[in-house]
Amino acid sequence: MSAPVILEGSGLTMRFGGLVAMAEVDFTLRKGEILGIIGPNGAGKSTLLNIITGIYVPSSGEVRLSGERLNGQPAHRIVGKGIARTFQSSRLFGDLSVLDNVIIGRHTHMKTGIFDAILRRSKAEAELAEAADIAERLLKAVSRGLYEQRHRPAAELPQADRRRLEIARALASEPKVLLLDEPSSGMDDADTDALMDDIRALCAERPELAMMIIEHDMRLVASLPHRVLVLDYGQKLAEGSYEEVRLIPRVQEAYLGRKATQNAQA
Amino acid sequence: MSVSVTATRRTSGAATALSIVALTEIGSAAFLRQFLLAEDWRVVVGLLGFFAIVLVALQRLPTVEARIEGAFSAQGRFATLLGIAIVLLFPFLLEKSTYALHLLIIAQLYAVLALALNFQLGSANIPNFATGASYGIGAYASALLALNWDVSFWLALPAAAVVATIFGFVLGVPSMRTRDSYLALVTIAFGVVVHQLLNNLEFTGGPNGLVGIPAPELFGHSFASPLVIFGHSLPSQANFYYLSAALVGVSILFAARLHHSRIGLAWNALRADELAARCQGINATWYKVLAFVVDAFLAGFAGTIYAFYVGFISPDNFTFLVSVTIMTMVIAGGMDNTLGVIVGAFLLTMLPEKLRAFSDYRILFFGVTVIAFLMIRPQGIFPQRLRRYGG
Amino acid sequence: MTEQLVQQLLNWITLGSIYALVAVGFSLLFGVLNIIHFSHGDVSLLAPFLALAAVQTVSASLGGSPAVAAIVLAVLFAVIVTGLLGVVLYYLVIKRFQNAPAMMALVATVALGIVLRELIRHLYPQGSNPHAVPRLVPGSIEVLGVTIPAFNLVAILVSVLSVGLLFYMLERTRLGLHIKAVSQDRDAARLISISPARIFQITFFIASAIGAIGGLFFAGYAGIVRFDFSVDVGLIGFSAAVVGGLGSMPGAIIGSLLIAGLDTLVQATVPNGASYRLVFVFLLVICVLVFRPAGLLGRTIVEKV
Repeated sequence: MSAPVILEGSGLTMRFGGLVAMAEVDFTLRKGEILGIIGPNGAGKSTLLNIITGIYVPSSGEVRLSGERLNGQPAHRIVGKGIARTFQSSRLFGDLSVLDNVIIGRHTHMKTGIFDAILRRSKAEAELAEAADIAERLLKAVSRGLYEQRHRPAAELPQADRRRLEIARALASEPKVLLLDEPSSGMDDADTDALMDDIRALCAERPELAMMIIEHDMRLVASLPHRVLVLDYGQKLAEGSYEEVRLIPRVQEAYLGRKATQNAQA
Repeated sequence: MSVSVTATRRTSGAATALSIVALTEIGSAAFLRQFLLAEDWRVVVGLLGFFAIVLVALQRLPTVEARIEGAFSAQGRFATLLGIAIVLLFPFLLEKSTYALHLLIIAQLYAVLALALNFQLGSANIPNFATGASYGIGAYASALLALNWDVSFWLALPAAAVVATIFGFVLGVPSMRTRDSYLALVTIAFGVVVHQLLNNLEFTGGPNGLVGIPAPELFGHSFASPLVIFGHSLPSQANFYYLSAALVGVSILFAARLHHSRIGLAWNALRADELAARCQGINATWYKVLAFVVDAFLAGFAGTIYAFYVGFISPDNFTFLVSVTIMTMVIAGGMDNTLGVIVGAFLLTMLPEKLRAFSDYRILFFGVTVIAFLMIRPQGIFPQRLRRYGG
Repeated sequence: MTEQLVQQLLNWITLGSIYALVAVGFSLLFGVLNIIHFSHGDVSLLAPFLALAAVQTVSASLGGSPAVAAIVLAVLFAVIVTGLLGVVLYYLVIKRFQNAPAMMALVATVALGIVLRELIRHLYPQGSNPHAVPRLVPGSIEVLGVTIPAFNLVAILVSVLSVGLLFYMLERTRLGLHIKAVSQDRDAARLISISPARIFQITFFIASAIGAIGGLFFAGYAGIVRFDFSVDVGLIGFSAAVVGGLGSMPGAIIGSLLIAGLDTLVQATVPNGASYRLVFVFLLVICVLVFRPAGLLGRTIVEKV
């Protein structure tokens, strides 16, 4: 793949007190690429996502989006620069409607300030109506079923739809980079298959969009990502295609092996 | 042929909607009038029982509720105009009762305060136990301007709102770093500091407060004199009734417009999940401070009108208990529901006054009401609604 | 000069000890139940009313001035009943908010405090008026040429003893271990057959009883008590716990000493200080929270994402 690099991290280190959650991790992500991130629990996968999205400030190292340094910037500004994410345990705005969730995802594309809202009502309303329009189209594109339920509170959705809504909400900000944190967690095989189809459709529709996916489900890891990054104890263990990575003995031992033993025991 | 049929159906539908709106509004106004003029406590209790039955019935019959709601959204303009007409005519129906007008004024001022607090407590779920302090700062700022520099009410009103807004901003700054209980304590602390300063400083008149605040004047008409409209004379309280009704109108406008904009959505997002909200690009700090600022701004207005209405103010009008009372109104009425918050304010202002034997137990009643609502019906009398778009 | 200094130091430590008795309750309850029991100050100040009522009943039946035994019995009665009342309130109100958003518990317990105060006002004979509280321990001792009221010494001594006992209980006994287990992980505690419900009961009893001791000394120190004194006591006790860092027992003590120190200092040095003491105390609270949002010894919790 030779598309230009859009997101890169170098020497990322994260310490919490005495605990080193991440040490000297480098990565690159190109336009249109899907990077899988795997590793056992506590390997630092979510920490990496939190550093990129500005929830944590790395102790050292830096994150660059199209060459611009991101670390130290607050989370809400990083979204505006073009990085959106979903959460492992879906964090929707449960008491708001499905549609409102997606409209809130467009927050960075709206400009209404306090004076506009109060004094220039037609302008504020037009902006919100436009956002609602875009949100409805987005929902329709992501899933017809979700669109039909757009006036229900988000908390009432079944698990698979919640995950879809999270993805729709993230897409609403028109990101250049989309980060998915264990999108298949809590899903059965059929739901995971549907999710994989959704992601494929998404890639076909937005060839420029770069993605990072944290995953445990090996079926997904084997088929979707172009490259895989393996983390263990906060360090990068290996990087390459799934086929290459799975053959490296240290990876097998650290992750696949351990998983295999667990499976054998179960 | 078919075109004309749909057209007739549409007009008959519109006629039904119009009559539903008219019936609801006139019925509510008639109810309020009876409640205000009732002197026998048994009548008051009866009216309350009727109110409760209507509410329960509406809840049991969601189709009726949806029908009424649909009528109001279909005939929004008519509903607004009729509402304004009723508010304007209402004082003429009160048999010149100054007491009823007084209750209405206080209830309307509390409605403004409750709507102000609702931006924080209801929309964004930020605790604020200092709305009473913002209210007091507005009252004292305008009273001091009027007493020391002869500033007219109409200039003191915006000036006091600015002062209160600055206080709201200062109050909001700690919310950048503290949350939940810690933030609640910060607002309580601010409230205590303001109350203690008002109570001890010399220029605020100490515990005796400020007296002799002059009544406002408009085009030579003093608000202390009776209001004569088309030969009908209304008690002087009517002046302040219209003034505070206008402020309620402004507050409703604020509430509706902010709720239906990016700002209201951002507040709701913060309420549901602050971290997820930040990850949608919402500047949590700014929106929290903004909620404090809007709250204090409106509270400042209410404070000014209160000061000029009663003519004397003292620190005891603006204690921690006042803040808790306002909070009770928001919680009981229904968080993030404009109508609910106003009903809560009216109910909790008038109820202890109407049940005279009971008024000694007013504070106890507030305490029990809050606990009961939080335990039995945390969503309040009128629960929050999902937003609607287009149609 | 020296005498004055010693006097002020003594005031500081006495006041700090009394505040600490209330503050540790706030911190303990938050640490174990993860809930702000805002009416803890009001619960604590029920004790002097209970004790007064008990003393009057006992001495009336004995016919004569209250004997020392009567006072001791009344105090014990007040402490135990207050502790039990804490447990009752837990079951009646607070339990329902244990898993609700923090805001709801906070508002509900603020309201609960109001209800408690109003109940005293309406139900206690002459409840709106201040009631004189005799100094529990009269007399004074002379140390190095300075007269020290015995009351202050007893207040400090009892506070140190009670808090020391609490620490010992938490750190060294099986019960303390169980309390810690429940505060860290309720479900895990249940797995090793510790009943969280029982631990919550016990915690409420302990916190309310220690608060009651604080309330008794506060009333004794002031010489009078009124139904609404608990507003200040509760606010200051809560502030001390928050300034120190909610959930941290040493924090609660440091916070109490800090606030009592400022309180004493302002009263001694600022003109008209008695009127402005609360202004200074709460400005301190605001400053500490702005610069250290989790209090002095509190740990900032990193949200798990």
